[in-house]
Amino acid sequence: MSQSARTKFKTEAMIAKARRLPTRGQVYVEEGDTVEAETIVANGTVRNPEAHEINIALKLGTDPELLKQYMLKNEGDEVKKDEAFAIRRSFFSRMTKICRSPIDGTIELVSTTSGRALIRGLPIPVETRAHIPGKVAKVIPGEGAVIEARGTIVNGLFGVGGEARGEIVVAVESPQQALTTDEVKEGHDGKILVGGSFVTLEALRKAAELGVRGIIAGGVDQKDLTEFLGYEIGVGITGEEETGLTLIITDGFGISPMDKEVFALLGSLEGKQASIDGSTQIRYMALRPEIIVPL
Amino acid sequence: MDSIGEGSYLIVDIESDLTKAIVVGRTDGGYKIRGVGEAQTTVQPPYLDVTIGVRNALARLEQELGIKIREVEEPTGGRQFLCSSSTSGGLHMMVSGVIGMISAESAQRAALGAGALLMDVFSRDDPRPPYKIVEIMRILRPDIFLLAGGTDGGAFKQVMDMVDLVNAADIRPRFGPEYKLPVIYAGNIDVRDDATRTLKQDRYATKVVENVRPIIDKENLGPAREGIYDAYMEHVIVHSPGYDELVKWTEGMIIPTQAAIGGILYSYAMERGVNLIGVDVGGATTDVYSVYNGIFNRSLNADFGMTYGIANIMKQVGIERILRWIPTDMSERTARNIIGNIMIRQPETLTPEEDLVQQAAAREAIRLGFEHHKEIATRLKGVRIERGIADIFQQTLEGTYIDMLRTDVIIGKGSVFTRGRSSGEVALMLLDALQPEGLTELLLESSNITPHLGMLLKLNPEAALEILTKEGLHRLGTCVAPRGVGKEDQEAMRIQVAGPEGTLQEVVNFGEVRAIRLGADERAEVEIDPARRLDVGGGGGKRVSKVVTGGDLGLIIDARGRPLKVPDSKETLVRWLDMLRPSPVPTHAVI
Repeated sequence: MSQSARTKFKTEAMIAKARRLPTRGQVYVEEGDTVEAETIVANGTVRNPEAHEINIALKLGTDPELLKQYMLKNEGDEVKKDEAFAIRRSFFSRMTKICRSPIDGTIELVSTTSGRALIRGLPIPVETRAHIPGKVAKVIPGEGAVIEARGTIVNGLFGVGGEARGEIVVAVESPQQALTTDEVKEGHDGKILVGGSFVTLEALRKAAELGVRGIIAGGVDQKDLTEFLGYEIGVGITGEEETGLTLIITDGFGISPMDKEVFALLGSLEGKQASIDGSTQIRYMALRPEIIVPL
Repeated sequence: MDSIGEGSYLIVDIESDLTKAIVVGRTDGGYKIRGVGEAQTTVQPPYLDVTIGVRNALARLEQELGIKIREVEEPTGGRQFLCSSSTSGGLHMMVSGVIGMISAESAQRAALGAGALLMDVFSRDDPRPPYKIVEIMRILRPDIFLLAGGTDGGAFKQVMDMVDLVNAADIRPRFGPEYKLPVIYAGNIDVRDDATRTLKQDRYATKVVENVRPIIDKENLGPAREGIYDAYMEHVIVHSPGYDELVKWTEGMIIPTQAAIGGILYSYAMERGVNLIGVDVGGATTDVYSVYNGIFNRSLNADFGMTYGIANIMKQVGIERILRWIPTDMSERTARNIIGNIMIRQPETLTPEEDLVQQAAAREAIRLGFEHHKEIATRLKGVRIERGIADIFQQTLEGTYIDMLRTDVIIGKGSVFTRGRSSGEVALMLLDALQPEGLTELLLESSNITPHLGMLLKLNPEAALEILTKEGLHRLGTCVAPRGVGKEDQEAMRIQVAGPEGTLQEVVNFGEVRAIRLGADERAEVEIDPARRLDVGGGGGKRVSKVVTGGDLGLIIDARGRPLKVPDSKETLVRWLDMLRPSPVPTHAVI
């Protein structure tokens, strides 16, 4: 197989990771602070994608422009699930009509043109952790910080699953050996396993079940990966998969013995804590999965 | 001045990975490409300056030509400098209209024709609720928004509803959230003032152009297209690193690469008076262009390509549809792994197995792209049609006006056609994917100079078309393919070819594909008598006579039937390729 893109690595490199929230929020670290991988750098909330559109005018049997007089809550107010937010009382309350919220949320919009209201779920809390142990080199106000550490960084070819952290365990004896269910054992939970040429579908499933945090292998069958994920990957943008573990392949799809140098390097790091991320964006070679092991 | 000085043009096309510069100059025999220089594009880090790549490409040109082009104060040496660009994935647009199948569709055609990648199309009759539309508008970051809707004097409130949604969304531009997003208003002329007044001035840079659909049965895409180019120059391209400097070197505007390609293909079709289909299969996208009875259309299948987009083709069509084109017994696992590896590695050279898989995927990418194109290349919807009693029994309205029996020319473009492939392989990819009918010329744009020639059109159309014909297009041959199906080994047609090597007659059986030698600069008079129920352009079983030009393969006879049935047997696929080679000197009875 001809090869343009390949796994790259650097040892004793100065690694800088920008840790940012996807929104504005509170930053908890200061420049010069020493942080652990699990240290919360910043947190905040993001808009909830769940939204319900309710035709209040229809439910209350009124014209949209008269809606305001029946509202118990206004735009921006919070509502609980099943709480009444609009009511139209009629003769001796015998024909009273009520609109209740289908979710815990906020009234985002009340339109006197369409007679509809939009209730959005409560904001979702988000946080970003340091991911690598090191020093805070720079604070990004309202968003996060840049963490610096010296160590080894390996960029694989392709990955699935997001950030994970754990101790490196080399589970095979050579870069040619496949990682099968025999090599995935009790006691590997929370670990990052290094395989050789290939990881089988059964091994992936067993590892996920045992609570293995990540697998680094030379290759995986594209068909097995599809079955493991439950869907076909189309464009080469990954990182959001909910697979239970992060998978990084260093050499390609199919049986792909891991590059000897990379295998030896990972072997030399056995027992150390690694911070890995399967996020990949193939286009323009923008982002490749990474394995970081600070000194 | 040197020999390529006066009257010469320096033309650069900047694509995501490659910056390609050419010099066009005049010789005794007319206009010619005098030199080509290529360099890596330098928009991305660590360079962040497009002019570095352009200067490097010009330096290569200097080396090739042995002359100096760049001067200290004049990077282009004072020559007329033209430029097209498709860096950062090209021009990203969102469009909207009132009715999805009417004004929104016209807006879509205007944006695609201007070379855009469409991120989404919105309309007042959109099945998505308004809050969802607002959310999508917020998430997607276009370069330009084209807001159409309503015929002149028509819908007012519905257009303003869409204006309100755009306002509510606070759409941010792809580059530089601090900049204003260019919004081109191309809707009902009576809503212009209200729309421009209502659109937030601190958020949007609004420009008004003529309505894309002034009346229901007329489309007016030119002004919207020009408006898009203006906005691209004024608001979009200047935010990309180094373009502010590049703009100063450039004669006229920098326009999207795809718009330049569309321009030259349109002019070529108009010059020759032919109906044309062009397919451009890139690493990440598949573009289809058509010119039919003078109407130009372009469609784009984003994320369907030969490297980055190859896994997406598999996802869309399923591995079986790719495997069916591979002439060996390749296992599903092998094919899947090859596709995955092409996507993640984007290799510069391919192994023979990878090559087979990529050719198979190309057929599906072109087929998908062409199906999509037919949805764009339609008669204007919403126009009342007079229908006869016979039409009552025809349940479906004819959607597209693309008719393969009336397609005169097919042009293939993209590295999938030029990566050391044989003419037979290239021709088969085009034949299998597009299934031309009747008599169709097959051409290959092998040197990737159509963007440059599209730019040259504005200053010197004669030179652009001359170079395209002489240097840009490579003739594979002319294909004869009857519409209809028959039984294997039954007679499909009789063909008589009167060419420079004499006259020959052949009987072609159904299921056969073969080539009759006829050089690229040779012409022959062809007379075809199809079997009953088969049609080569004159009607079922009717004779067609035409003078045709040859090519690498000469006259390609494709009697495999239309629609083409892909064989179960791998031997048949191999036989098709074996048969499609330029035949030696005719051994048939010469009369």
